[in-house]
Amino acid sequence: MTPREIIRKALEEGRTKLLEHEAFEVAKYYGIPTPNAVLVKTPEEAYKYADEIGYPLAAKIVSPDITHKSDVGGVKLFIKNKEEAYKAVEDILTTVPQKAPGARITGVIIYKMAPPGVEVIVGGLRDGVFGPIVMFGLGGIFVEVMKDVSFRIYPISTEDALEMIDEIKSAKILNGYRGQPPVDKQALADIIVKTAKLLAENEEIESIDLNPVLAYPQGAMAVDVRIILKQKG
Amino acid sequence: MNALSKFFQPESVAVIGATPKEGKVGRAILENFISRFKGRIYPVNPNYDEILGLKCYKSVKEIPETPDLAVIVVPAPQVPQVLRELGEKGTKAAVIISGGFRETGTKEGAALEEEVVKISREYGIRIIGPNCIGIFDNWSGVDTFFTTKMRKPPRGYVAFISQSGAFATALMDWMAYHGIGVSRAISYGNKVDVDDIDLLEYLGEDDKTKVILMYIEGIKESRGRLFIETARKVSLKKPIVVYKAGKTSRGGKAAASHTAAMAGDYSVYKAAFKQAGVIEVESFDEMMDVVRIFLDQPLMRGNRVYIVTDAGGVGVMLTDALTNAGFEIPVTPPDLKEKLRSILPPHNIVENPIDLTGDADDERYIRVLELLANREDVDAIVVVALPQIPGLKGTFVDYIAKIKEETKKPVVALTIGSEISIETAKRLQEKGVTVFESPERLAKALKALRTYSLHVARFKGL
Repeated sequence: MTPREIIRKALEEGRTKLLEHEAFEVAKYYGIPTPNAVLVKTPEEAYKYADEIGYPLAAKIVSPDITHKSDVGGVKLFIKNKEEAYKAVEDILTTVPQKAPGARITGVIIYKMAPPGVEVIVGGLRDGVFGPIVMFGLGGIFVEVMKDVSFRIYPISTEDALEMIDEIKSAKILNGYRGQPPVDKQALADIIVKTAKLLAENEEIESIDLNPVLAYPQGAMAVDVRIILKQKG
Repeated sequence: MNALSKFFQPESVAVIGATPKEGKVGRAILENFISRFKGRIYPVNPNYDEILGLKCYKSVKEIPETPDLAVIVVPAPQVPQVLRELGEKGTKAAVIISGGFRETGTKEGAALEEEVVKISREYGIRIIGPNCIGIFDNWSGVDTFFTTKMRKPPRGYVAFISQSGAFATALMDWMAYHGIGVSRAISYGNKVDVDDIDLLEYLGEDDKTKVILMYIEGIKESRGRLFIETARKVSLKKPIVVYKAGKTSRGGKAAASHTAAMAGDYSVYKAAFKQAGVIEVESFDEMMDVVRIFLDQPLMRGNRVYIVTDAGGVGVMLTDALTNAGFEIPVTPPDLKEKLRSILPPHNIVENPIDLTGDADDERYIRVLELLANREDVDAIVVVALPQIPGLKGTFVDYIAKIKEETKKPVVALTIGSEISIETAKRLQEKGVTVFESPERLAKALKALRTYSLHVARFKGL
């Protein structure tokens, strides 16, 4: 499905937040690297796709009614083979309805877990005065406590995005420290530019958070994508 | 011709609500026009046949021509009627000074404002205001600043756009006191029509404006992108200095996402200024320092600053301040060292900061400055001229000014002290050498000049 179709479907169903697999698909459409992911409905499907996706796998419940997935037994991590994948999805599909009775269940998303990297956040928002804006910051404490983030207004060039990355106070961490190699800023800049474009081209989107994006010496990947649509009316 | 030229270069003006009564806005504005405006002036007021020696008209209809500009000072409920008559007459520019519109927070006020907007669209009249002090144009004499106790600044090249009328008045007064020349100042009040963007566009084309200073609290909804585009275009022609008030973020906003939680108004404005190539200042001191440096100094092509001082301590203070601001204070290269050694007494220090010490005289300054002014590896010169030492004669000011005139690099000065220092500063300033009293403020202003130079180089090439 195209982003347009995904968004229309969500709106038709009265949802203002895209489901995980939908958000991944929208991001992927704009060339933002995301984990290889499949939405499965049954343990058999998980068994069938697991090898193709690669290990270690994560499995997470997909439901418009559930926010805290692990609280209801909806998350399994570090799945090593297709038998474990079968078991994990089977567990999730039996436990979740017991712990969250009445919650609509779309399926289970299984995806390849990304190797550890430097956690950063890329965000986008529609501002009343300036229109689409993008944000960049380092993950965790840097954003939440230090509010160490930078902003730009659409349209932006790769050069603007690189400037944004270097503008945050904790940018030194991205340049490598304690023997760590520097991260691929070009890949991050690319994600920022694409996020801005995604937001600009889809009027219905109110905000987008790629949190975290894992930055590596080569490449970067958005491992969690959250897309909020405008409230109707 | 720009759409706004009728506001700034009208050939005729109607002052609707003009009055002979002392202490009234309608009188102050009429007096302003009489004293400096060269075009035709038409006071309008049904109660008088003549005001301050000018024939007074009962209504807009009676005016024998179509006035280019109308200044409206009548009470708010009468404004729509006046505006309609102006529309029929064919006037295309109106400054509405009167208050009593949306700013009152009342339904009546909001309704009146909507009517004003409707009529202006219907007739194609551009509006500045309502609820504003309007325009102070130092070149054409269009002057609706009814603040009679304000000293008028000399004619010059700084334009000021202000969301606050009172601040505009105070700043004009301050600039008058400090002898800084002004081209045009505008405060647009409720800005139902003409806003910051229109004014930027106009002032960008204005050959009497070399620096644009803006005080803003907020840009109109959905106009942000156009602001950035316009400011970027204008900023390549002349620097735009912005002071943004209302920096604290909108509190209590339910945050749907991380980004929303982080995006206070101010952080977004900061980004916008950066992208637009606008120089943002964070204090009143900085605002005026930056304006002064832009008025007098050429672009700064690199990052290397040389300091010439007669006081070692101040040289060190400056080195700290400039380094913190991101400048390089290069080690004097061998060839320059050799030349300096050959012209300076042995007790002088030829390392940068170059210390001419307390027995310095005019000659010593001039020879060192001449050397630096012609070097490719010097991007700016800071002259510390503490005039308390016995060897300096009055002429040294003229030498510095001459070098500033001849070189293509920024030359700024620092003096600290009592009357003798203030006098030196004043003389240097008059000759286009920007003078500071504080090393930190000097460094900040020079940094703004460097930032702007980089912006121009990036988008235009140097």
